[in-house]
Formats: sequence, C-alpha cells, structure tokens
Amino acid sequence: MTVVSERLPALGQAARRRAPLSLVLDRESVFSWLMMALPLLFLAALVGYPFFYGILLSLQYRPVAHTGTFIGLKNFITNLHDPIFWQVTANTFIYTGVATFLKMVGGLCLALAMNQHFRMKNLVRALLLLPFIVPTVLSTVAWLWMLDPAFSVVNRLLVALGWPKPGPSWLGNPTLAMVSIIIINTWRGLPFYGITLLAGLQTVPPELYEAATIDGASGLQRLRFVTLPLLRPIILIVTLFSVIFTFADFQLVYVLTHGGPQNATNLFATYAFDIAMGAGQLGLGASIALAMLPALALLIVALTIYMRRV
Amino acid sequence: MAKPASSTATSRRKFLKYAAAGATAAISRPWPARADQKTITILHESSFIKPFDEYVTNTLAPAYEKETGIKVVYEVTSVGSLPTRISTIAETGSGADIAMNALLQIIQFGEKYLDVGDLAEEIGKAQGGWYDAGREAVQVNGQWKAIPFSNIGQLMNWRTDWFAEVGVKKFPDTWEELYEVGKKLKAKDHPFGFELGHGFGDNHGWLYPLLWSYGGAEVAADGKTVVIDSDETARAVDFCRKFFKDTMLDDVLGWTDVSNNKAWMAEQISCTNNAESILWFAKREFPEIGKVTDQAMNPAGPKGRFHLLNSISHSIFSFSPVREEARTFMHWLMQPKQLGGWYAVADSYYQPLLHGYDNAPMWNVEPRNIPYRDALANAHLPGWPAPASRQLAESVAKYIVVDMFAKACAGASTKDVIRNADAQLKEIYRSA
Amino acid sequence: MVTGHGRIEHIVRVWLPVAFFLVLALFPFYWMAITSIKPNAELYNKNVMPLIVRAPTLKHYVDLLTKSSFLLWTWNTMLVAAVATAISLVLGVMLAYPLARMRFAGAGLIAMTVAAIYLVPQPLLFIPLADVINRLGLGNTLTSVILTYPTMLVPFCAWLLLGYFKTVPKELEEAARIDGASRLQTMRQVFLPLCTPGFISAGIFAFTLSQNEFLYALIFLTKTTVRTVPVGVISELIRGDVFYWGQLMAGALLGSIPVALIYSFFVEHYVAGLTTGSVKG
Repeated sequence: MTVVSERLPALGQAARRRAPLSLVLDRESVFSWLMMALPLLFLAALVGYPFFYGILLSLQYRPVAHTGTFIGLKNFITNLHDPIFWQVTANTFIYTGVATFLKMVGGLCLALAMNQHFRMKNLVRALLLLPFIVPTVLSTVAWLWMLDPAFSVVNRLLVALGWPKPGPSWLGNPTLAMVSIIIINTWRGLPFYGITLLAGLQTVPPELYEAATIDGASGLQRLRFVTLPLLRPIILIVTLFSVIFTFADFQLVYVLTHGGPQNATNLFATYAFDIAMGAGQLGLGASIALAMLPALALLIVALTIYMRRV
Repeated sequence: MAKPASSTATSRRKFLKYAAAGATAAISRPWPARADQKTITILHESSFIKPFDEYVTNTLAPAYEKETGIKVVYEVTSVGSLPTRISTIAETGSGADIAMNALLQIIQFGEKYLDVGDLAEEIGKAQGGWYDAGREAVQVNGQWKAIPFSNIGQLMNWRTDWFAEVGVKKFPDTWEELYEVGKKLKAKDHPFGFELGHGFGDNHGWLYPLLWSYGGAEVAADGKTVVIDSDETARAVDFCRKFFKDTMLDDVLGWTDVSNNKAWMAEQISCTNNAESILWFAKREFPEIGKVTDQAMNPAGPKGRFHLLNSISHSIFSFSPVREEARTFMHWLMQPKQLGGWYAVADSYYQPLLHGYDNAPMWNVEPRNIPYRDALANAHLPGWPAPASRQLAESVAKYIVVDMFAKACAGASTKDVIRNADAQLKEIYRSA
Repeated sequence: MVTGHGRIEHIVRVWLPVAFFLVLALFPFYWMAITSIKPNAELYNKNVMPLIVRAPTLKHYVDLLTKSSFLLWTWNTMLVAAVATAISLVLGVMLAYPLARMRFAGAGLIAMTVAAIYLVPQPLLFIPLADVINRLGLGNTLTSVILTYPTMLVPFCAWLLLGYFKTVPKELEEAARIDGASRLQTMRQVFLPLCTPGFISAGIFAFTLSQNEFLYALIFLTKTTVRTVPVGVISELIRGDVFYWGQLMAGALLGSIPVALIYSFFVEHYVAGLTTGSVKG
C-alpha cells in the first residue's frame, strides 16, 4: 500500500502539465466510451455481424451454396410442426435442468466435505479439477468405452449380482442414454462447481457460525440459515455459467451418441448443426439455433428471480 | 496486496509483450505461398487407410508438380466434418479448388460445381465405361457434377467359426434365413450387432437395403410423392423388430459407426454390416479374428437384393481461380497409371466405378472383398428410386428412416412408427 | 481429538466424502491411463477384468509422439489459448472498468448487451464467421481462432472482472485523482495492479475454455500443422470408423497435463478472484 501512495504525487504533477484536451478525455463519459470503443467494435464485428446475418438466414429458405428466398417466419412455423424439434426442446431442458441440479447439490456437498481440515488439501483440490481441464471430446471418448456393457465396471458388478447378461445398455436405452450424458456432464462440471463454492465457504466469517452455535443451531440449521444465504450470490454465478454451457452443449453429444438413440439425446446445438450442415438447410438450422435464445433467456431470468427470492 | 504495484505492472507488461509477439508470430506464418507458382488444393476426408492419403502427398502430388510445375495441396478433414468443411468453402467461395464428395454433397453443392460431363465421358470411354451406380451418384438433371471415384461399399461381415458352430458354412441368402441363424447364435452368446443409432453410415448401410428388399421406399421415382406408408414397409419393419429382438444386443440402438468395429474386435458379435474396415483392421491387428472374418452380399428379401451406394467423387468448385488447371489435374489423376496406383494402395476399400477395373489385380489381393464389386450392380442412393435431392439430404440428416426402424425395435407399434415417418417425410417433401 | 474415537470420526466425516468425490472425479482418468498402456489385444478383450493391465506397453505413447503431430498441436493449443486469453482480458478490462467505475449514459444498455452476448449460440455464428475469417485472408492460420475465441471469452471476462472490480475500494483511485492523475493513469497504475486475483480467475477460465474449444477449430483449422489438440486428435486418431483408442487416451492424458500444471499453480488465486467478485458483488 505504501508504495502505491508514494508514487501518487509524481503522477499528479505529470498530469497537471497536460493540455486541456486531456480534460475532455478525462470526462467520465468520454473516457468510458473511448475505453469501450475497441472491445465494442470487436464484438460488433465478430458477434454482432454474424448474429444479424444468422437472424437474416433464419428468415430465408436457404439451402447451402444456393441463394436464399425470404420466407418470413416459415422456418419457425416448420419447427413448431416438427416433432423432433419438440423432442429436442424437451431434451435440452431436462438435460440442463437435471445436470445443473446435480452439479449444484453435489458441488455443495463437495464444498462442505472439502471445507474441513485435512492433509494434502491442495493436492486433492487440484486433482478434483482434472475433469474440468481435460478436453471434452477426449474424455467423452473414454466414457464411450466405459459405457459399453461388456466393459462397463457397473455392468460387471450388476451381472455378478445376478442381473441378466450383459446388463443395462447405457447408450441403447433412450432413458439411460439421457442419464449417461447427464452423468458425464455432471462429472465434468461438478468439481468446478464444488471448488468455486468451497472458495465461497471460506469467505464466511467463523464468528457467524460461533454465534449460531451459541444460539443453539444444529449443523443443518447452520447450513440452512447461515451458509446458504451467504453463498447465494456465488451459487447464482456458477449456476448461470453452468446453465449457459450445458444448454448449448455440443461436443459431448456429438461424440457420444450423435443424438441417438431415436433422438433421445439430441440437443438444440446438435440438431441445429445436423440440419444446417448435414441437411444443408442453413435457414432452418439458423432458426433452430435461434430458438435457443428465448429459451435460454427465459431460463436465466427465471433462475435469477428465483435465486434472488430464496 | 503487499506486493509492490510496480513489479506487478512490469511483469504484466512483459506478459503482454510476449503475448503480442506470439500473436505476430502466428499472423506472420506464411500462408498461402503466394508466389508465381500455381496451387491446386484438394479437400479430402481422412481415409481409413493411411497409405491412401500418403499416396497423394508422397507420390501423386510430387509427380504432378514435377510434370507441370503446379503444386498440389492435399488437405485432410476428419470423418463426419466433410459436409461442414465443404459448406464453409462453398459459402465463402474459397478454401479449396477440388472437393471430395461423400453420400449427398453433390446435390447440396451442385450449383457451385463445374459440369465435368466431357471429362467424365472421356474417362469412361477410355476405361471400360461407368457403372450405372457411378452415374446415379454424381449426375444432377443429366449434368455430371463430379467425376466418380469409387464406392465404399457396405457388406455383411460374419464370423465363419461361430456360424459353423450352428452348422452354417455359407452365408444365408435371405433375411429370413439369416434371422434363423441369428436366433441360434444369440442363444450361444454370439449375438448379431447391426447399428440402429445415429452414426453416419452403418445404420443406413443396411436399413435402406432392407426396406428396398421388402419392396418399400421412402419416396416415389418422381421425388415428390412420399410412399413410405405401405404394406411392404410394414413387413420390413416387422422383420427388423424380430431381427433385433431375437438376434442382437440391446446396445445397438445407441451405436454409432465406431461401435460395431469395436464390438467385432472384442468378439462380442458374430455378424454386422460394415465397410471393409473391420476385415482390414482385424487382419493387421487381430490376425486370429481376421482369419475367421468373412464378407458377403446383403441377404435378399421378397423383392430382391440391394446395397447402399456410398460413393465418393471429386468436384471442381466453379469459383476456383484455377478451375481450368484443376480440370487438367483431374484428367491426369483419372488416368490408369495414377488412378490404378491410388486404388491399389488401399486394397479394395475403394471400389472403382469404372468397368475397366473389374478384373484389376487389386481384386486378387483379398478375394473376400470381391462381393464389393458384385454389390455395385444393385447399389443405390438412400432415396432410390427417386434421384438424390435436398429433401433426401434432410430426411437423412433427421434419421427419419433409421429412427422409424429403431423405434419399432425399441417397442413402438409398426403402425405408429410408419405413421410418424410418413408425417415427417411429407413435411420434408412438401417443398419438392 | 487425538483419541481413537476422534480419529474414526475424522475419517468418516472428512475422508469418506472426500474419497468419494476423488474416486468419482478420477476414475475416468484411471481408465484413460490404463487404456493408454494396454496393448490392443488386451484392450479389446472383454473376458479379462478391464481395470487391470497385464502386459503394459508404451507403444501408444510412442506412436502418438512420433507418428502424429501431437507436440505441434499441443504447442498450437497453448499459443492460441494464451494469446486469446490475453486479448480477452485486455478487452474485458476495457469494458469492465468503465462499467464498474464510471457513470455515463448508456452504461445499463452496454452491460445488458454484453450479458446478452453469452446467450448467442455458437452454431448460429460459425458460417458468417467463416466468411469474415475468409475475407481477412486468415483461413488455416492460428490467428483465425485467436480472433474468434475472444468472441465467447470477452463477455465472460468482462462479467467476472466487473464483479471483482466492484469490490475494490475506491479510496486509492480517488486519492490519485485528487493528486491530478488522469483517469487512464489512475486505472493503469493504481487500480489494475490491485486486481491480479481477478485477472487470474478470469484468465484461467478463459484459458480452459480456449483449449477445450472444438467447433471453430474444426472449421477454421484443417491443416495438420495448425490444428489444436482436440481437433488434431479427433481428426487423425479416428480414421473412418476405427478409433485408435490407446493413442486417443494417451492424447487425452498428455493434453491435460499443461493445463493441470497451470491450475495447480494458480488455483488459490483463481478461487480467490472468483469469489471476491461474486460474494460481495
């Protein structure tokens, strides 16, 4: 701190010798807009332009490599009549909802477990983050093998306990396939959740717990009335991250099931990709991708309101 | 915050400096080599057979450069990402001059491809004539939008040792006979495994032929009338359901293309439908399994025997600044010396669509591959009897026919699955 | 607490749950490791217990390192991730600082817009982006992804930093201003040095996302020499419908080592930066 304050007078003197232009530049609004100009320009060029181009595409009958014709909202109407679209919508919500819930609860448990004193805590913490680090496409390839009934350790256990061979088909059964992608997503995201919440826990002042204990609060009550309210902002932020990434997930499904069996694991991103790239219907594909926007926005607004209220 | 602010600032500045240096280094990497030398870029899907790709980079490209001074760049993209890559090139008008097409790209990108009819006819005339399948694969409204290269056929792969255990020495001739064998083999813990999930090829590879062999089809020859709702389709679906239930692993419903290869090497399955990759890989990595692996044509149904045409071909982008050079290059590439050599490095994984190669030495390398050649006689694109269309591409991308069969196998009624498929196909073909 | 009873309780309360999570998180890594040292004959053998290896081999590693361009891909990935992260941090600061500290018309709108950008789905953007990249003549250069990754990273960085910035006391900046320092000087020399934990957390998050990115890399980088690890490994170790499992798993393990190292150095700050911003923000 002292070092900083010692340097200040020198800075000041330098500034006073400036021309009046610097005064203009120093006005809050001028400074702010100048500062933000570059990033905003960057985002406008590389997000804004493609985004509006995407909206334009969604209003066209636009086969790939072919000029488009404007057809208004017809693509969106087509989607409303497309049973796969509705299945994909349901899948995406279930996938996002369940995986996020599991990550939240599991992450909290992990954080509580880690928020105790034990040896090698830093090492454990670093190890726990590994699933978040390894490139998703590659960890998914490992899961592809682990979920094969003949090689699955779970199946071997079940068969040993008397389940008929070869045990449950993790990727062949529509429900289990959804369970599988949820498990993998949770596996990948939970440690990140947990470590972040742990950091939040460590900022809770111990005095609060002591006070609560003196007032006769049980462990569960302390969690309910002291820990959770204080953690709420950080739970909100990791949940938002998780919702955004889970909702738009692509890689995991693309590698593991490609949306099968019978579209049971098809999500917005994979379906939009297949329609745009596989079927070559850029307009229709864009309309499916765009459909994610209101859904995701709704989810996030609802989540924010809910978290604020609780 | 005990750290002196200045040192942090310095190290940050240093970091930014390094980062900037890194960025500049990345930007200034030479690409492309804009010298006087002309360059032709060919986009290809990475081949299952490595020497096939290496033959271009190590033999063909240097030879052509030596002959003409034109540099040939062979760009490889991963399996499954070819449509994405071609879309990007076609949309942006740059990235490659020649593209390899798989199943349905011709129809999607045809407007950006040169008509190479004269070239194709000349090549055909000189080398024994094209198979009908070759024409079916690349012609749009009578125009040759690509030069056919080969088919990558799908055949029945079967374990001769396990089939022999139930007294079968020759691969069954009809689906019903195969079903009876499969029942016995599943009882002996040697189930079949045919993909019913969302892969790229091994699902279509047997399901469309199955549908056709019972007399069903997705759409009529006019390419507009949806005809899936028929008694023939119902019979095919009914067969598929019992075939799945009584001969296969449950897991096949979730399989992608890699799954049956893995299951084969793990000795989980006794029969599947696949391209040559199973036999090829088994011979090299699992010789014991390779010895008892054989290939046969698809079984026949009441209405005949069919195979899926899974051709690859080469097109020249009409926006390419070197399209004339690309044309000359394709002409050179398709001459027997080059073409024969390229086919030969891949055994017969790539089956020529020119009759001139019907008795080429490549077929003697592995006699078990000969059915691939014979299967070409009744191989068709998925939308057959209609020509390929954008609508077909959409139906394939949505897995309509695959999922019709898969849902029936998972327990839905024949009537329901056909009705659903019919409704979805009508929605798709409405725009035809 | 040193009594026997206490020790058992310690094990039950601490190590049991921790071990549970460790096993959960690490089991797939054990699987990758064991798969990467199995010879093919063992890998595909469904009759032996898959959790053990009988005749370990380093063949897959040797093949990966000698027959593919894995090291080059790793270098590319690190370079791309580092530069994209640096750009995103700089741009993120330029957005977040005014939003956190200044009052000006339109601030609310900008904050909303930046937040809305997270929601734009990647599959919608890649075709038009490919067009932009192509017009800039950047196809098949690392610059193409270095430029496009920040589109998804800048909003996140700005958001995380915004939260962090708000927690930094204003007094120092006010003092600097009274002494006559310009806003730029105040920001650069007084304010930013206080925010290192915030940079580390945003930076690590951005770095992780960049090195994991798949779609843009798949589309923009098609030459072996410019590929990143996820795309290189998927494109060249999956040939047709055959996966080279052993090499894929070796690649997965080796590919995560650099980032794991970075994490283990920075995890403390990472966590601090992330939480200060959100708990008090």
